[in-house]
Amino acid sequence: MTSEAAAADEYEHKEGDGHDHGHGHDHPKYLAHHFDTPAQQFDAAKIGMWAFLVQELLFFSGIFVAYGIFRSWYPEMFSAASHQLNRLMGAGNTIVLLFSSLTAALAVRAAQLGQKRNTSTYIILTILCAFTFLVVKYFEYHHKFEAGLLPGQYFHPDHHHLVAGSPELPGNSHIFYSLYFMATGIHGVHVAVGIGVFIWILRRNERGDFSKDYYTGVDLTALYWHLVDLVWIYLFPLLYLID
Amino acid sequence: MSSSSEHAEQHHETDGGESEDGMVHSHISSLRLYVGIFLALIFFTVVTVGVSYVHLGSLNLAVAIIIASIKASLVVTFFMHLKYDNKFNALMFVCGLLFIGVFFAYTLNDTDRRQNELNDVQGNKVYLGEANDKQAPGGFEPKAEPAHSGSMGEEKKDEKPAAPHH
Repeated sequence: MTSEAAAADEYEHKEGDGHDHGHGHDHPKYLAHHFDTPAQQFDAAKIGMWAFLVQELLFFSGIFVAYGIFRSWYPEMFSAASHQLNRLMGAGNTIVLLFSSLTAALAVRAAQLGQKRNTSTYIILTILCAFTFLVVKYFEYHHKFEAGLLPGQYFHPDHHHLVAGSPELPGNSHIFYSLYFMATGIHGVHVAVGIGVFIWILRRNERGDFSKDYYTGVDLTALYWHLVDLVWIYLFPLLYLID
Repeated sequence: MSSSSEHAEQHHETDGGESEDGMVHSHISSLRLYVGIFLALIFFTVVTVGVSYVHLGSLNLAVAIIIASIKASLVVTFFMHLKYDNKFNALMFVCGLLFIGVFFAYTLNDTDRRQNELNDVQGNKVYLGEANDKQAPGGFEPKAEPAHSGSMGEEKKDEKPAAPHH
């Protein structure tokens, strides 16, 4: 940062028009006039994104703390209620999300290398994975609705739809499903938002906005996507793999 | 509009090595590294599923969280480039984790010592305290008929108290 400031000073001196900020000199078209260099602009964007991601972590931590409280109060209930979740679907979705994180990382790599075609391909793969995740989630939710495994006062388990051979559900199991729907719901919203942002980034990439020198949008969107993956990495064992 | 190469001539000073010419020069990881990290993540996913079938008592939760944290560190370090990124970003991230730790520690320290107050579960109701008869809001209120769907015939009324208190 300090080198940036020094470099900028020097830059202004050489230009000889220190009062005419940002209008006197030539920029690459992606460089906003309030930044001195593309590197400074990139660093600023990254810092902003990380501040946002840290905020996201703190935001999600609320549901995790709630989980911690209730699980320490009612460990048996959590174990019993967790048996109604489909581990296979949960594990499958985990692999889908991990793979989408790989393709997102590869999209950034392709962008860094200036490979526009590959960037688009990897972004499309990421979007497809995200849709797959949501479709699996839909089937999981559908089962919960059919079985009456819903939050709070809507909790009315229907024996016909419960997993065969599973332990009896204690009366306060609705707490588990409140946490389940809140956690996976907020996460699912993040997945949906990710799809939207990736579609936008895909369009920008196709439009030729990005290059080896400027790929901030791809990078930041991938960072967001990795965070969505990160949250799921914890949600999966905490919700599906109890006992 | 000239090319950005003009900037290259302007800057002599170097600092982090990131921006001697004012251009973005990020570390580019190899394809092999990314695929390797992905395979490691899949491996740890299989391990965490496998371990969940082994009964370790309360250790199960700890093991699950440790494995998840290993996976998370791999994602953050390599997929999210924190290893090669501006160290300030890593600092922000670690500070976030610290505050989450504070959030957990203080809250659980409180709630785990409330004993029979909020813990008082009788059947479907969660009571706010033994002295008062007040039910926790948002809980399950037994009704004569299912709230939404008439097809859900067998409603469960389990009177078993959920968990032993600490």
